[in-house]
Amino acid sequence: MKKYFLYSLLAAFTLISSCSKDTTLAETSLAKKMIEEKVWFLDYSQTGTLTKTYIGKATYYINFLKNGDTQDSDGLNGIYSVEKISGQLQIHVNATTSNGNSIEYIYSIVSVGASNLILSYTLSGKTTQLYFANKR
Amino acid sequence: MHPISKVIVAALFLTLLIQNTTFGQTKISDKKQSTAEATQKFKKSFTASWNKTFINFTDNNTYLLAGMSFSNQGITAAGYNSSFNYNISDNNAGGYKPGYFAGFRVDGLYKRKRNYSFQVSLNKIATANNYKDAKSLPPFLGSFSNFKADDQFLNLNIALHYKKLLAISDTSKYQFYFVLGPSLDTRLSAQSADNLVNNNYARFLLRGDLGFEFENKNFYTLFLHYKQGLTSFTKSPIKTNINSFELGMIFKASDLF
Repeated sequence: MKKYFLYSLLAAFTLISSCSKDTTLAETSLAKKMIEEKVWFLDYSQTGTLTKTYIGKATYYINFLKNGDTQDSDGLNGIYSVEKISGQLQIHVNATTSNGNSIEYIYSIVSVGASNLILSYTLSGKTTQLYFANKR
Repeated sequence: MHPISKVIVAALFLTLLIQNTTFGQTKISDKKQSTAEATQKFKKSFTASWNKTFINFTDNNTYLLAGMSFSNQGITAAGYNSSFNYNISDNNAGGYKPGYFAGFRVDGLYKRKRNYSFQVSLNKIATANNYKDAKSLPPFLGSFSNFKADDQFLNLNIALHYKKLLAISDTSKYQFYFVLGPSLDTRLSAQSADNLVNNNYARFLLRGDLGFEFENKNFYTLFLHYKQGLTSFTKSPIKTNINSFELGMIFKASDLF
């Protein structure tokens, strides 16, 4: 009896502690939820030690819609997705310019919050970080 | 068919039906009896094993309990990194937040000398979250954390308390106890989407309880317990310490049912 009691306890413990979910899906879903239905305005950009500020100036902005569409201030329209590649969250955009040319680009998500977004990209070996806020 | 033949066939059919019904009833009755016997056998064996295992725990009484809890969660998370940031001022709160709990407990004597209680309860815990450190990224981000603490939990709590009778007033009427012991919380509720990302919350939380209980002539008992977190409710490197005050009442189950 004592043995069965101990086995039951062990089984209950194993069942309770072994439940886990797919964390990648949880992470991309949460990131998408945080960026969608907001207009993100570029406040700062930083390449190496050079920091540019756009506060109080006309600046670049991008909108990520809930249905997966995206539009930006440069006239690019298209679709976006949030992915996790090699442990890094990314925003993958496939868009067309106002001239009808296709363009594809990927930003790495450095950090995302309810009202701020830090993205980065590397061009010719130089990494640029873009600091966005959804309040103007 | 001849009318007499019809009567004979009907009589045979009825006879068979009655026989079958009687046989069925006998079968059901046999089944019931065997189930009752098995239950009785299990009860006897369970009681014997229980008494053999818990031979030192005697004079047991079962009580029902319910009450309110006030909880606080201290958070240290500067060593934790993720792709998400949360504004501290949106998530920080001082003091304690109210929750509630209900369950049962067994009070008795250990080795006929020491008062003890074994308690099982379901606790709906709400916590005021107190961040003890923060990160910043000037001029872009002020105080933030990469960890957003949950503030609602449903826990199954199991506690074992040693009770020491205090010599205050007339102990034949009113009894005051000092209570001390460990308790184990098992989180039954799911984590928020923010914490599912890295499965930040642990399933179990070990706490140390101490408190006072006042028993009024066996009618009811009022208690105030303080639960101090002994282990972190989150996985390393995040440290969260959940502390609670519990204010409640217990009644003897036999008085209510």
